Formats: sequence, C-alpha cells, structure tokens
Amino acid sequence: MTNINRRTALGLGLSTAFVLATTGRSLAADPIKIGFPANLTGNAASLDGPMLNGGKLAAAEINAAGGVLGRPIELVVYDTKSDATVISTVASQLIDSDKVVAIVAFSDSDSVLAIGPQIQKAQIPLITPGATSPKLPSQLGNEVFLACFGDNVQAAVGAEFALNNLKAKTGYLLTDLGTEYTTLLSDYFVKTYEHGGGKLLGKDTYKTGDKTFTAQIAKIKALPEAPGFIYSASLVDEVTLILKQLRQAGINIPVVGGDGYDSPLLLEVGGKAAEGAYFTTHSYIGAGATPKVQKFMDAYKAANKVDPENAFAALGYDAVKLMADSIKRAGAVDSAKIRDAIAATSGLAAVTGTITYRPGIAVPDKSVSVIGVKDGKLFLASEAAPSFVPEP
Amino acid sequence: MIARLIIGAIVLALLAGVAFGAPSLMSDYFVRILLIIALNAIFVLSLSLSNGFTGVFSLGHVGFIGAGAYLSGILSLTVAQKASLLPHLPTFLNWFSLPFLPATLVAGCFTALLAIIVGYPLMRLSGYFVSVATMGFLIIVNVVLINASDFTRGARTFTGVPLDTSLPWVFGWLAITLFVLWRLVYSPFGRRMKAVRDDTIAASAIGISMLNTRLTAFAIGAFFAGVGGSLYAHYLGSFSPVTFYFAMTMNLIAMLVLGGMGSLSGAVIGVVCVSLLSELLRSVERGFTIGDITVPALFGASQIVLGFIFILIMIFRPKGIMGERELTFGLFKRSAKSEIKQGVL
Repeated sequence: MTNINRRTALGLGLSTAFVLATTGRSLAADPIKIGFPANLTGNAASLDGPMLNGGKLAAAEINAAGGVLGRPIELVVYDTKSDATVISTVASQLIDSDKVVAIVAFSDSDSVLAIGPQIQKAQIPLITPGATSPKLPSQLGNEVFLACFGDNVQAAVGAEFALNNLKAKTGYLLTDLGTEYTTLLSDYFVKTYEHGGGKLLGKDTYKTGDKTFTAQIAKIKALPEAPGFIYSASLVDEVTLILKQLRQAGINIPVVGGDGYDSPLLLEVGGKAAEGAYFTTHSYIGAGATPKVQKFMDAYKAANKVDPENAFAALGYDAVKLMADSIKRAGAVDSAKIRDAIAATSGLAAVTGTITYRPGIAVPDKSVSVIGVKDGKLFLASEAAPSFVPEP
Repeated sequence: MIARLIIGAIVLALLAGVAFGAPSLMSDYFVRILLIIALNAIFVLSLSLSNGFTGVFSLGHVGFIGAGAYLSGILSLTVAQKASLLPHLPTFLNWFSLPFLPATLVAGCFTALLAIIVGYPLMRLSGYFVSVATMGFLIIVNVVLINASDFTRGARTFTGVPLDTSLPWVFGWLAITLFVLWRLVYSPFGRRMKAVRDDTIAASAIGISMLNTRLTAFAIGAFFAGVGGSLYAHYLGSFSPVTFYFAMTMNLIAMLVLGGMGSLSGAVIGVVCVSLLSELLRSVERGFTIGDITVPALFGASQIVLGFIFILIMIFRPKGIMGERELTFGLFKRSAKSEIKQGVL
C-alpha cells in the first residue's frame, strides 16, 4: 500500500510542478515580449550562442535608454536543442502561453523552416538574424524576414570580387552537396560569375564530412590551363582541409567562399594553408574594424567577458535592434502593425550594414564584407554591394 | 467477456473524447505535448515487440521510422512541389500525390517488407551480435538517405510535407497499435516470442521456429515504426536524415528500458514519464524565481538531470518501472506475473 501511495504522491508532485512551471510565469504584463528561441545546445550551438548574447546586449541597451513606447522589452528565451520537435513545441509555448508579439530566431535555415508554419498561422512576424537562404520568405510566407543578406547577394559579391579585385577571368568550382546552404551558394555564384564574363574551367563536388580531396585536386592539376581561382562553397570544417591539401599539392591560387568560413577555426586549423583564402560575410569583426563595429565589440566584451566569436553575435544584436525600431515605428504593440513596420524599414544603420527592405521583398539590401587571410591574420579586402544579383 | 468489451468501449470513448475535445479545451502547447507523447508511444510500443518480448535488442528501429517518414513524405508532396523540390525524381513517382492515410499505409507496408528482407539474415543472430548488426542497418539507412539525393534531397532539409497529423490521427493509430500488440503479445504467438527470448534451445527443442517467430515480431514492429514515421513526417513538415539517427534511437531505448522491457503498459508509462519530465526540466532550466531566490538560466541542465534520473532508476529498479507486469487495474488476468503464478511460464 505504501508503495502505491509513494507513487501517487510522486505523480501528483510532478504534475503540479509541471503545471506551475509552464503556466505560472505571466504575472507582469508590462514588458513587450519578444520570443527568442535559439539552439543553445546541439550542433547549431556555436552560432546561436553568440547570437543570443548579441540579442541580450541589444535588449539591455534599449531598456537602459527607456525601452520602446515607454515599455521595456523582454526576450523570452528557450533552448530548442537543435531538434525540430522541440522547436515546434517551443513555438506553441511562445505563441499560446507567453503571447509574444514578435519573434527573433535562429541562424540556420533548417530551424526557420521548422518554426515557419506555426508563426505563419498565428500571424506573428519573425526576423531571423542569420539564416541566409533567400528562398525562406517564399517557402514560408509574408511573416518571415531576414536581418542578414541572402546567399544570392553574398555569392554575387564573391563572384564580382574574383572578377574585379583578383582579376580572375577563369575559375574552378567546388561544391559541398551535403547542405542546402552550400548548394544554393554554388548555384548563385555560377550565375553571377558567368553573367560577369568569367569562365569556369570545371566543376566538382563532395559531401559534408569528407576528409580527403585528392581526387578533386588531381582533376584541378590535370586541367590544361590553370584556373585563376577556386570558388569553394563549403563549411569551415571541410574548407580548412581543402586548403591544406591544395597547398600541399602545390596549388597556391586564391580560394573564395561564403560566410560558412566565418569561424575562428579557419585560422586555427587552416594555419599557413589559409593564406590566400577570401570569404564574404556580414561584417568584419577584428582588429582595425570600423568605429561602429568597434563600439559593438567593446560593449559585447564588457557584457560577456569575451570578444564576439563571429558575425552572428552582431547579427543577433542587429535583429533585436531592428525589431525594437519596428515596434517603435508601428506605434502599437500589435503583431500585424509590427509586421508592416518591419517591411517598411528603410536605411536603418546596423552593425552589419544598413538595412532596407524593398517593397514585397523580405531579404534586405545590405553591403557584404569580403575578408581575406594574409600573414596569419584576417583583413578587410573589400566591402561592396553587387551590381548584378541572381533571382532567389 | 462482456465486462472486458465494456471496458474496451469506455477506453476507446475516452481516447476519442480527448482526441477530439482537447484542441478546443487546451492550449496548442498541451495538445502538442499530448501528440508527441502518443507518437513516441507508437514508436516505443513497436520497439518493445522485438527488444522487449522477443529478446532481439534492435538498434535499427529508427532506420524503419526514417524510411517510413521519407517514403510517405515523397508520396504526399504535391506534383508541383515534386517538380521544384525533387526535380530528378523518377517518372513512376512524380506524377501523383497520395492523401495522408494511403501514404501512411504504404509507408508501413514498405518498412515491414524492408524488415523481412533485412531480418531474414539478421534474425538468426542473437545477443550483442544482433544489436550490432541492426545498428549497421541504421547506418546504411542514414547513408542511403544522404546519398539518394534524387529521392531525398540528400542531407538538405526535406520540406513541404503537408501538416496533416492531428491528435485524432495519432490517437487512432495508437489505439490500433495497442490493440494489435496486446492481442499478439498475449496470444499463443506471444508465448512463442517469450519462449524464444527466455530459452532459445528449449524453444527450438519443442518445435518453435526461432527465425519465423523473431522475423514476424520484427516485421510487425517495423510496420508500426513506418506508420509512426509517416505521422512524424506529417507533424514536422520538414526534416533531414540527421533527425532519424542515434539521438532518436537512444531516446526511444531510454523510454522503453525505463518503463519496463516486457510490458506494453510499461512502454507507455516510460514514454509518458520521460516526455513529461523533459518538458518540465526544459521549462525549469530557463531559470525561475521563488520568493527572494532567483535561479539563473542553465541551458543544457535538463539533459544532465534526465541522464542522472536514468542512472538512479537503473540502480534501484533495474527492470524498469513496470518490469514484466502490466497495469491492468485488476480487470485482466494477463500479466506475466499471474502467468508465473499459474505455472504457465
């Protein structure tokens, strides 16, 4: 009998705690609630962690300056554990229990695709700081906005940088077929490069997780004419290996890629082989940055005791600032009005560039930074907006 | 007999009431929690057939779930979506689109067939060997999903699956799963399964075919895994091969072991406990304030606490919460314990 009593008591206690924990936190109705689900554990943690720190910094600055419409803003943070099932439960918690008016979320397209249908149904605007697929708004609907440039823009800048700055009229393309991001990036690159008069001498592919690239490198060496550069649509883990193996094989031409390279690992793992690598990204964060970025770096360091890990810290910061600015311009804490205000954003000066949405297009026109590696250090090679952008 | 029918009818009515009434009474959040619990119950029940009752400790179950999810996903995309998302799909697949139920049934039959093909050589193995071999199957499924990019978009997100999975669907399939497995496990065939599990040599000596028994259990389990996979695909809408891999395998096995390997109600209880506990911990880890004490957010703490609770349960209740018993409310004399008392086992 005691056995059953103990079990019943345990069950009762658990369910009470469960109800308390999930419902008992909507006491102060005063702050403006903005949902901030992030993959703080799991495989997207190295991007979403800095993004959350940046977002919190922005919220603290906004509240210190008196908040928005006379009310402070509150980020409602949940860890979504890089798991699509958790993302969908968290989405319903944010919408139904926390009653957030808007959401800032995620650095990868997969997670945005997972949360998309629910926020679209509830008609709550969402700004993604770091998911760069320009197809997201058309795949999900009119509530989804990007705070970053689309992959079509960064691929175009990469191609024009090769043509105009590196003076490379011939190129070679390597594509990682393992992710949506690298596949799209590669398609957009080809369109711009060939539109600008460049000629691809060959194309090759590999898959995320590959460790040896000897077959691909042998093909490049066997080309009758050496290409001017290699565009490698890769993630940082693979591109460091590609760079090392290329340099070992005696190929010292520049290697250009996208913001997938933007990680401390490029220099740490790539070492000397990283010389001559260039990548397009959201903002140059490092020694000799612009005063605006430097100010952000100092504030980030003061709040988190570390330097910003990558551009996603700045993107998280910008996305929250963009959201607060839109709420202010909407003049009311109302999801539909906030959505319209986001869409009408024009000339908002952010750390990662100026944000403007053209009518009906939820991907902002932003300038792209091209960062190069020289003498073991990163430097800002160029900052540009492309003259030709392929359709998403 | 009549009492049993009445009880069955009451249980069914209750399930139907919850399934159809919940969405209008509860918030979407609680409906989703219920839905995920029911979905996981289908996964764990189908896993218990091989791992619990037949003694084939399979690590490849999630391979069937993944195969079912992808197949039903491909079948239920609209023709226009197929053209844009899967442009290289072979012509025999790209001209039609199936509704939810047929797609689910096809997925279940496909995974059952897959289980017969895979199980024919594998079910001859025992003990650790069958675990390692079925894990090999899981790895093969994952690699095929990543590389057959004409069908699956490779490692990229498979998206656009219609969000058809609702509470009545999942509860309906859960009721079917429970009913079929209950009839199966507590039938002469069920006794054959347990005989094969408990003493292979003695079972063979009295004429029970080890291979047939194991293969049947494996294939039926795979059928419900495929069905569950289809429900899961239509719940998420977008997923990728990594969704159906070791993390999910470990999650399901933890639920099964925790609830009790040789008990259907144990499997369900394991699912309910683990799901509620991880939801509770997920809310607690965000930090909270009681009076003057403020506990800061500790993201990731929920996984640690959950792991710790698993260790404690395994130390103090190594056979899981239910062990081999069933929760019968004294109405059914069908638990393994009563069988032992009657001298059947």
